[in-house]
Amino acid sequence: MLSIRDLHVSYGGTRAVEGIDLDVGAGETVLLIGANGAGKSSLINAVIGLVRTARGRVTFDGRDIAGLPSDARARCGIGYSPEGRRVFPSMSVKDNVLSGAVRLTPREQARRWDGLVDTFPFLAERQAQAAGELSGGQQQLVAIARAMSGGPKLLLLDEPFLGLAPVWIRQISAAVQRMRDEGIAVLMTEQMARPALRIAQVGHVMRSGQIRRSGRTEEIKGAALAEEYL
Amino acid sequence: MSNQASITRLPQARRPALLGGYEWATLCLVGFAFAVPVLTRNPQILSQTNLILIAATAALGVYIMLRMDLMSFAVPAFMAIGGYTVAVLSLKLGVTDAILLGVAAFVMPALCAVPLGWLILRLKGVYFVLVTFVLTEIVQLLLFEAAPLTGGSNGLVGMPAVTLFGIELMDNSQVLLTTAGLAFAGFTITALFTRHFRYEFTAIEKNDVLAESLGLACWRYKALAFSVAAGVSGLAGFALVNMLLTAHPTSFAPMSSVSYITYTIVGGKGAILGTLAGAALLVTATDLFALKGELSPGLFGLLIIVVTLVARGGVIGLAAKAAGRMRRASPAAPARVAPIAAVQARGVKS
Repeated sequence: MLSIRDLHVSYGGTRAVEGIDLDVGAGETVLLIGANGAGKSSLINAVIGLVRTARGRVTFDGRDIAGLPSDARARCGIGYSPEGRRVFPSMSVKDNVLSGAVRLTPREQARRWDGLVDTFPFLAERQAQAAGELSGGQQQLVAIARAMSGGPKLLLLDEPFLGLAPVWIRQISAAVQRMRDEGIAVLMTEQMARPALRIAQVGHVMRSGQIRRSGRTEEIKGAALAEEYL
Repeated sequence: MSNQASITRLPQARRPALLGGYEWATLCLVGFAFAVPVLTRNPQILSQTNLILIAATAALGVYIMLRMDLMSFAVPAFMAIGGYTVAVLSLKLGVTDAILLGVAAFVMPALCAVPLGWLILRLKGVYFVLVTFVLTEIVQLLLFEAAPLTGGSNGLVGMPAVTLFGIELMDNSQVLLTTAGLAFAGFTITALFTRHFRYEFTAIEKNDVLAESLGLACWRYKALAFSVAAGVSGLAGFALVNMLLTAHPTSFAPMSSVSYITYTIVGGKGAILGTLAGAALLVTATDLFALKGELSPGLFGLLIIVVTLVARGGVIGLAAKAAGRMRRASPAAPARVAPIAAVQARGVKS
């Protein structure tokens, strides 16, 4: 579904991502772990098109998307939940969630909303509340629901557990597992490796913009290189 | 968190309504202007109402762009294009029909805005402000230099009165009716447009990069808004030219853009009613302060400082806050009910 080959991302003279090769298949959850500055978010941002790639190919569903603007990539079926949540604070929870589905008809939006309420029941209770008034965990769920509202085939989750209590981490983990069951591919970054490794099938350990180790999550868990992040 | 939430108005859950409360209230108030000539023949009131409506319609151009956090100084430029289009059509081609002229005054600036928008809408913040101001300066220069078409520094004078279904709209009250019609058209277009795209505009205003990553082609929305804002400004230009029966470059001075921005900010940029409230307050204040002679600019400035200090959300924001406080203080006010019933009715697990 998503194929990345020899991807390079630079900020001025600083290389953030160097020669990354990575694949995400349908219904697969792939995890990028690494310390701050490892290049995880830069890689995610390059896939959604928020940063320009210096070199390399990004293909999604067989289509080269490297030259497309981020809105076109989203319309191809890529959902994105950014690091730090970034909900629209003054908009209601429901408006926030449906802002990821503006290209759908009202009927389709209503159907999507009902489906998301099934996954995240608290959305129904808080639908009219300003998203900025929610707790951090709830905002994260809103951001994930927003990314899912457009009906993506691939979901990019950038540090979804950042600063959250275990109760919210469990809810998000359950939601990711449910997405996997529905055939949605997930590419997520996380510093909190332990809970993230529990829900992913494949893991990549990043350091200094490069993938240092890849494998099934069981292998990664035991790998010496990964230990420094666990 | 709560601090963040109080920054702007809160659009409640998605409603299918064509227009919201602020939009209906604004259209009712603008519509009331049609009744003013029936209620009074006082030329001072007619003139004042005329000025307020023109100022408010022009300020809509600022309001539309501010919905996407873009401060536009281009309103006088598009007013000039609309106003001169009407003057040229009536003087050189003999077109006097108010509806035809109104359509031309909207379409011509809107079309001009398309290529201009393509050039300048990639800019943000101070760069956008600067370029729109320069655009207004360039249009001003063109008005002076393109004398065969625009009359140069003499402007275009001696315009015939506009007509509606063959009836000449000549005297003060009829001029006000024309202005009211143009203002009503401008406010209706703006209300429908900003209401229809309210979620998209709010998303772009708050975080356009994020909005883009959600699939919103921000540039297209900005271009569309720039074009509609230009068209509405053109309607204000038509109203101004029709009131003066002259199209002159000084009527569209670049510095007048500051006034239109001030009307919007002081009135409250969070709601369309703000442009009308700001224009009504400041145009009336200008008129009142004029009686104080040299003190007038100082008093005007003082008023703006006081309003912006006391009412950060503008006059409308202040009124909304006061109304909210009164509702909360009222013992009869119903408590905020969480839609639990709706949740249960849907059979959602809680």
